[in-house]
Amino acid sequence: MNTIILQLLVSGLAMGFIYALVGIEYTLIWNSTGLLNFSHDKLITLGAYIFGASMVLQYGLSKPLAILVTFVVMFLLGCLVALGIFNPLRNMRSNIFAVMGTIILGRIIAEFIRLYWGPVPFTVPDWLTGTFNFGGFIVTRANVIICGVSALVVITLQCFLTFTKTGKAMRCVAQNKKAATLMGINVSQNICITTGISAIICSTIGFLTIPLFTISTTMAATIGLKGFSAGVIGGFGYIPGVIVGGIFIGIVENLAVAVLPAVYKDVVSFALLILFLLVKPSGFLGKRA
Amino acid sequence: MSGKKRTRIYILTAVVLALIILLPHVLHNDYYMVVINRILINTIVVLGLNFITGLTGQMNLGTAGIYALGAYSSALFVSYTNLSPWLGLLVAILMGFIIGRALGYPSLRIRGVYLSLTTIGFAEVVRLLLANLADFTGGTTGLKNIPCYSIFGFYFNTQTRMYYLFVVMAAIAFFIAWRIVHSKWGRVFKSLRDNIDAVEMTGVDVANMKIRAFTIAAIYGTIGGAMYAHFMGYINPSTFTVDLSTNYVIMLMVGGLESVVGCLVGSAVVTGLPEILRFLGDYYQIVFNAVILLGAIFFPNGWLNLAVTGVKKLMYRMGIRTAESGGGK
Repeated sequence: MNTIILQLLVSGLAMGFIYALVGIEYTLIWNSTGLLNFSHDKLITLGAYIFGASMVLQYGLSKPLAILVTFVVMFLLGCLVALGIFNPLRNMRSNIFAVMGTIILGRIIAEFIRLYWGPVPFTVPDWLTGTFNFGGFIVTRANVIICGVSALVVITLQCFLTFTKTGKAMRCVAQNKKAATLMGINVSQNICITTGISAIICSTIGFLTIPLFTISTTMAATIGLKGFSAGVIGGFGYIPGVIVGGIFIGIVENLAVAVLPAVYKDVVSFALLILFLLVKPSGFLGKRA
Repeated sequence: MSGKKRTRIYILTAVVLALIILLPHVLHNDYYMVVINRILINTIVVLGLNFITGLTGQMNLGTAGIYALGAYSSALFVSYTNLSPWLGLLVAILMGFIIGRALGYPSLRIRGVYLSLTTIGFAEVVRLLLANLADFTGGTTGLKNIPCYSIFGFYFNTQTRMYYLFVVMAAIAFFIAWRIVHSKWGRVFKSLRDNIDAVEMTGVDVANMKIRAFTIAAIYGTIGGAMYAHFMGYINPSTFTVDLSTNYVIMLMVGGLESVVGCLVGSAVVTGLPEILRFLGDYYQIVFNAVILLGAIFFPNGWLNLAVTGVKKLMYRMGIRTAESGGGK
């Protein structure tokens, strides 16, 4: 019994890190534009497809090189999204246009994936497979790597935001766009870079979830929505909060399997989302808006 | 209103009525009638959504949940009790009232993006529960053999018969929505979006009005859902996804926010255009979405507005209309 609980905890922790990454990726855009990127689950899927289908299986690149090329492609795509959708639509009289813009973009990406790579799910051979054995306690390699890489992403991002000039400008834009413009920061360009970085994190999530979900057109649909729950539970728009919220959801929904029927696993995070919005809308760590 | 203008309006009404009545006999095609019936059902749902998202400006991305509960409450009621679908419609309306109250309450405390997320969460919970409570709802296999509407032994069982029924229902829904939008309530809803503090200062009970907007919207949504269930004869939880909810917001956006006629136009475009584009084969969805996206970026006031301004400009240029006689909504 104890080992089962421990196993559930570890896989919950790994899923939690995934939700935390999803949270970080859209929180960056939320902070810099005040808009939610509802196409993020499609960007995650696209990252996995570019990496798995094109770079590794079609062109036969080595995996580290494939990751690098995918990062470049996704960064450019993110900039394009910012130029085409966030910048023109963020100052409209109603934010419905920008939200719907990202949703429709997501649909276009999904259709593109289906037409270009086909609808059949597949996976990348020998990618994050195998297990680790810690003295009789067995953990899959994917879960360990997910936790490690996520921690690395978080630390790199924090360093980037704290120590580089671009990162400081990004935080500036998040705080006050008018003041940032007065200080000579090009806000539109900054939003482009932010969206690009967000797209890179999306593709990272894509790589990491390949062993969990295999590559398919709907691989990221649920983690996309649960990422939003993570944000609300931890504190919306606050990166440490999002990480706490993500890990919390991951562990709670995995432990819920031990009590509830397994089919209700997906209901747990949405029920938590609604509960938190009603009882404590600022989340665990968030400040009152 | 001058006598000449009044005659013109009478003629216009007569022409529109004749077109509506003759339409099935001109088309002679069940497939077109299915599309038109779906447009009518969607119009009713969008008319409701217009109250929340269009007028009070709160992003509701959970229409699929409301629609699903309407469809399931009517269908389940009828299949368990073997009573008339019209009573099922009443059950659906009651369901809409309950949902509206329950969803409207959180909208008092949370705004903007939080509300979108709550409504998405609501719709997902509804869909997952419908799929997993298999003993009660039929689960993922769905509900079969839902009876169609009937009056005194006359069954609305063909597409043409349903068309006439749905035209009447949509017309009633349209008329009521039109009256509400152009009433005191409609003006309060709009001002809730524009400046909520000022509305409160003028002595309006903001909380009550917000819940009222949600309730009207939810009732419209559940009526649409019930009509859908008895129209299709078969329902399944996999229909009611987030994708469906966003489709309704797209309809609203295409028609132009807060315009009642726009709801009809938007529902016709979003339901009909993919069918027209089917000749593109595999590419029809991607082309359709690209058209809608470009529309949102370049014509943010909706396609109806664009067409109306275009026609007006053309009329000025041709000298039919002068600047003084223009305007007039």
